[in-house]
Amino acid sequence: MDNLTKFWASIAKEARIIGRDHQALFLFFVMPVLFVLILSLALRDAFGDRPGATFDVLMVSQDPGEVTQSIVEAFRANSHILLTQSNTASEAEARQSLIDGRYRFVVLVPADATAQAERRLGEIMAKVPPELRMEKPVELVVMADPALRSDFRKVLEGSLDLALHGVEMKLGREQLEQTMRATQGEQFVALPNMEKSRLFEPVRGETVTRKGSGPTPTSVQQNAPAWTLLAMFFLTVPLSVSFIREREQGSLFRLQTMTVPPWVVLGGKAVPYFVINLIQMASILAVSVHVLPLLGGDRLELGNAPLALLLIGASASLAAIGFGIAVAMYARTTEQATSFSSATVMIMAALGGILVPKAVMPPLMQDVAILSPLSWGLDGFLDVFVRGGGVLQVLPEALSLLAFSAVCHGIAIMRYRSQT
Amino acid sequence: MTTPCPYSARHNGSSTGAPAIELKQLTKVYPGSSTPVLNAIDLTIPAGTIFGILGPNGAGKTTIMSTLCGLLKPTSGSVHICGSNAVTERATIKQILGMVPQEPAIYPTLTARENLEYFGRMQGLSGEHLQQRIMACLEVAEMVGEADKRVERLSGGYKRRLNMVIGLIHEPKILILDEPTVAIDPHSRSLIHHRLRELHAAGISILISTHQMDEAEQLCQEIAILDHGRVLVQGKVSDLLSMQASETVQLQIEGVPPADLTARLEHIPGLLEAHVAGQCLTVVAERPDQIMIPLMQAMQDYGLSVRSLSFGTTSLEDVFLSHTDGLGASR
Repeated sequence: MDNLTKFWASIAKEARIIGRDHQALFLFFVMPVLFVLILSLALRDAFGDRPGATFDVLMVSQDPGEVTQSIVEAFRANSHILLTQSNTASEAEARQSLIDGRYRFVVLVPADATAQAERRLGEIMAKVPPELRMEKPVELVVMADPALRSDFRKVLEGSLDLALHGVEMKLGREQLEQTMRATQGEQFVALPNMEKSRLFEPVRGETVTRKGSGPTPTSVQQNAPAWTLLAMFFLTVPLSVSFIREREQGSLFRLQTMTVPPWVVLGGKAVPYFVINLIQMASILAVSVHVLPLLGGDRLELGNAPLALLLIGASASLAAIGFGIAVAMYARTTEQATSFSSATVMIMAALGGILVPKAVMPPLMQDVAILSPLSWGLDGFLDVFVRGGGVLQVLPEALSLLAFSAVCHGIAIMRYRSQT
Repeated sequence: MTTPCPYSARHNGSSTGAPAIELKQLTKVYPGSSTPVLNAIDLTIPAGTIFGILGPNGAGKTTIMSTLCGLLKPTSGSVHICGSNAVTERATIKQILGMVPQEPAIYPTLTARENLEYFGRMQGLSGEHLQQRIMACLEVAEMVGEADKRVERLSGGYKRRLNMVIGLIHEPKILILDEPTVAIDPHSRSLIHHRLRELHAAGISILISTHQMDEAEQLCQEIAILDHGRVLVQGKVSDLLSMQASETVQLQIEGVPPADLTARLEHIPGLLEAHVAGQCLTVVAERPDQIMIPLMQAMQDYGLSVRSLSFGTTSLEDVFLSHTDGLGASR
C-alpha cells in the first residue's frame, strides 16, 4: 500500500514535469499528426487499392455516334472515373485544363469518329487491299497528367481501348448482318449480341501476401499505424533523456537513498509515457478518419476490432518504453542516449517497413524485417485495418511486443539494482 | 533576522546508546582497480555530534558517504548506523539517514513545495503529517514566500537551502551533508550554518564532508582527516588545534627595527630565539604567553609600533596541511 502511494506520487510528479514542457508536448502530439497528414496526402497514389478514389477525366467529343457512346458507357461503368463531357472545348483548352490540374486524363474524339470508323470497316469488309484503302484508323487524342501513376494511366488507356474494341465488334456485327440480310433475304435471323454476352468470367485477381490473402494497404492504412509506431518509439528519446537528467541532477541518487523500490521509480516514469503513447495513437487515428478525407485524402477504415487495436497499440507502447528505459540505464550521458535511441529507432523503422513498406522490399529484406519490433506492431495494425483481423489475429504480434518489453524492463531493473 | 528553527527535539542521539556511525576495518576496492579507495578504515562518530570528514579530492569521502547510504557495498569490514548494519538492514538505515548531496538534487521544473511533497511521499509521509513537515522544512529554509515558485527560477542559495531541507523531510536521526555550502552566498551560508547548529541542539547527529576548513572549524566538534583511503587523524577540533599549538610569536612592525633589537630580546627569560626579516619579527619561546609583557615592553622602549601579532594555536588548515602531503585541496 505504501509503495502504491509512492507509485502514484511518482506518476503525478512525472506528469507535472512533462505537462510543463510545452515544447515536448508539441513534439509528442502535433508532429506525428502532421507527419501522417502530409505523408498520407503526398503518397496517396503510391499505394495499392484506394477504395473510393476517383480520377477526373475529361472527354471532348462532337461525335454523336457509337464511339462516343461506348467510351462514355465504359468510363461510367468504372467507379474510379469521374467523367466530364464537353462538346465545345478545343484541344488547346483541354490541354490547359490538364496543366491546371482540373483533370488528370483527357480524351478528344474527332467529330466524325463513328462515320470514319464505319467507312473504314466498309473498306475492310470489301477486302480493299490496305495500300488502296481511303480511310485511316480513327485517331483519338489522349493526354495524361504527369503526376498520374503510370499503372493508373495504363488502366485508363486500357478501358479506352476496351471501349473502342467494343465499337469495332458492334460495327463489325452490324456490317455482317447487313451483308447476310442482303444475301439471305427473309430467311436471315439476327446474329446474337456478342457484346452483351461473355465467354469468360470477368477477371478478378486475388492478392496473395505472406500473411495470407487480402488487399494491400492504402496510403493512409500504411502511414497512420507506421507513424503512430514511429512516434511511440521516438518517445524513447525524451524518456531516456529524462532518466539521465534525473541521474545528473542527483534526484535519482536521492531516491536511491530512500526506501523506494526500483519498480516505483521505473513505473512512475513509464506510466505517463504510456498514456502519451495511447493519446498519440488515438489522435493519429482520429485525424486519419475524420480530417484526412476533408483534405482530399482517403479515409482510414479502422476495421471492426477496437480491442485488437488497443491491444496492439498498448503492446507497442510498452515495448517502446521498455527499450527507452533500458537505454537510459546504460547510457552515461544524454548525448549518448539521444544519438543511440534515435539511430536505433530509425534503423528499426527502416527495417520494419515503417519508412519503406515491406510489400515493396525484396524477399531477403522482408525476412530481415521480422527482427524489428516496429514490424510486429505494423503487422498487428494491418491485421486489423486491411485483413479484418480481431484480437486473436493480432495476438502473436502483441505477445512478441510484450515479450520484447519484458526483456527490456528486466534488463533495466537488473542494471538499476546493480547501481544501488 | 533568522526565525527560530521549527525542528522538533525528538531525537536525542541514538536511542540504543550506540555511536551514530561506526566503521570497522572498512575497505572498498572498485571492480577492476587494485588500489583500495578505502583502506581498513576505523571511524567512530558519537551520537549527537557535528562531525566533519576532511580530505583532499580522491581521499575517499564520497565513497564513505555512498557506503553509509547503502549505495555501495563494502569489500570488507562493517558499517553500523545507530547499531544497525548498513548492508543487511538497509531499509532501517534509509529511514535513519537524511542525505544532502553536494549538487541540489531537486526537480527544476517543480516548485519548492512540490519537490518537498514528492520526496516526502517517497519517504512514506502522507496526509496532514506530510503537510506539516513541508511547512516546517520551508520555515527551516526560510522559503515560505518562495514555496510555490519553480526551482529553476530560484537563486543558487535558495536551491541549496531547499536541497538541505529535503534531507530533513522525514526527520532523520542522522543528517549527512556533502559540501553543503560550496559556491553559495554569505547569507545562505550563514543560515545553513545556523540551522545546522539548531538541528544539532535538537539532537540530530550531523556528518559533514567538506573542503572548507573554516566551515569545519566553525561547525564541527570532531573531525577526521582522510587521505588515500585512510584516516590520518581523528579527534575533537579543540584538541587537534591545541596539539598543533605553535611556540612561535610573529609581530609585524611599523618602521625599521634597530640592529640590536634581537640582542636585547635574547635577555628575556624563556625566549629561545629571535630574528628579524624586513618588518617581521619572529620569536620562539617555551611559553609564548609568558614572554608577551617583556616583549611588548621592549617594543615600547625602541619606539616601535606593532601592526599585528599572532601566537598560540594555529588554524585547522595548518592541521590539515600538516597531516596531508601539503598539496591539500588543490589536488
